Amino acid sequence: MSDLSAFEQEIAKLIVQALKLKSDPSAIEPEAALFNEGLGLDSIDALELALAISQAYGYQLKSSDPDIKANFSSLRALSRAIEKHRTK
Amino acid sequence: MVDAPLIGPYQPDDILAWEIDGPRTAGQFLSAVIRLADSLPECPTVLNLLSSRYEFLIGFFAAVLRRQVTLLPQSHASDTLRHIAKDYGAGYCLTNPEQPIDGLPCVGLPPRSPTAQWLEKVPSIPLSQVVAIAFTSGSTGTPSPNRKTWRALIAVAQATASRFGVKAGDSRSVVATVPHQHMFGLEASVMLPIQQGLVMHAGRPLFPEDVRTALEDVPGKAILVTTPFHLRACVSATVHLPPLGMILSATAPLSRDLARQVELKFLAPVEEIFGFAEAGSIASRRTVETDDWLPLDGIVLGQEGPDWTIRASYLPDPVRFPDRVSIHDDGTFRVLGRAEDQVAVAGHRASLGDLNRTLLEIEGVSDGAFFTPDAQEDSVTRLMAFVVAPGKTEQDIQQALRTRIDPVFLPRPLVFVPRLPRNETGKLPREALRDLAERCMGKGSPDDA
Repeated sequence: MSDLSAFEQEIAKLIVQALKLKSDPSAIEPEAALFNEGLGLDSIDALELALAISQAYGYQLKSSDPDIKANFSSLRALSRAIEKHRTK
Repeated sequence: MVDAPLIGPYQPDDILAWEIDGPRTAGQFLSAVIRLADSLPECPTVLNLLSSRYEFLIGFFAAVLRRQVTLLPQSHASDTLRHIAKDYGAGYCLTNPEQPIDGLPCVGLPPRSPTAQWLEKVPSIPLSQVVAIAFTSGSTGTPSPNRKTWRALIAVAQATASRFGVKAGDSRSVVATVPHQHMFGLEASVMLPIQQGLVMHAGRPLFPEDVRTALEDVPGKAILVTTPFHLRACVSATVHLPPLGMILSATAPLSRDLARQVELKFLAPVEEIFGFAEAGSIASRRTVETDDWLPLDGIVLGQEGPDWTIRASYLPDPVRFPDRVSIHDDGTFRVLGRAEDQVAVAGHRASLGDLNRTLLEIEGVSDGAFFTPDAQEDSVTRLMAFVVAPGKTEQDIQQALRTRIDPVFLPRPLVFVPRLPRNETGKLPREALRDLAERCMGKGSPDDA
């Protein structure tokens, strides 16, 4: 079991549901890479995830955002970005 | 006609492409093509992995001028790239500096020159020249090659333009979310604008916000070249796109429901293209109006034995339909379903048999099988796989698969089982796999059952 904050657990659950991963949300390592090596996500997942995030939190991701790579780098980074930009 | 010009009816100062930092004129483009062509190493083929659509096109046309064939692998898995480069004699790779390919010299584009030279005459290319090889998603490490002549690319671009009334010199732009190394992307997002004298957006917007920005950047009403998956995202998100000229969708069937929503929201017709790597684009339909596909000009449907085939003057041999179809008397056709053993994920096709073989070749895998869950409309349905591999971890298997198959086919989830539900003849009935899949998705690992 990893040490996830309540909000990180919420986002982990969103990732697992949006991407139909079989993983247990609480088993996602907060600092591990989401894309390629880690969870092995790709651009199709990025779009799927962006859609779920915009629907749940009103945060529209965009590639021109200089922080986009950093924000998508791990569960922890993504949770932090959503918390900062959420409109609902 | 024995040859055709490299680009459509542009004047030197006409905008040909829109890069991230602004417009590029036809003059700048041609100078860049010629300068690169002069500096390319001598060899028969080249891998072009450049991620900017504009830079890709500079590389592609420079190679065409040097009579070098551009290899278009669908999969960028490292093993696949190495095999293709070796088997097809690629002496170098055009790539972004941050993505070198092991064992292959990388050539980057020369720095931009502020001066644009214009040629008295745009170079013409022999129609019979093979300019590209599009590979069909390989799963066995031996992707099958589909040779594309200049004639084939020109003919499809012209047929598409004439089908949709896209006229030469229209002040229209093309923005695409699809990769330009994919056949549909090459035809609709590169050859169509370049042959018709339109503005080609160099980027590949992913998120709805990206699509909006790209559409706002380019001049005129844009043609959006995309997929059902991206369209679903654009409809669901709260973005407001600028007025569009038309939307072209391909790579997976678009549902009529989504097509209707898109037309209502973006006030532009959605046309769907039917095609595949072997033949290129062959037909279109206005999804809100009909389920039937109308072949593009020059496409002749025929029958050979039990198989329906496609002929065209630019195809050296008749090509078999990858799907089961019924052909109507008026010349239209309807797709009934995918041929057995064929799977398609995000526009990439593969044979289930090949995928299974690849899985079984991995060290430590004693049995295994891929499974296609029932497709969900307008979203990308991933494959699942079951594997018997005591002592191996999910990471081991995924890592091994990653170097051998296109990442879109990586199983999600990959389920470890003590054994597969094979029947007494050793076969794996689809029903048995479906039951297993349902049990897995329903309550975690089947080991718990």
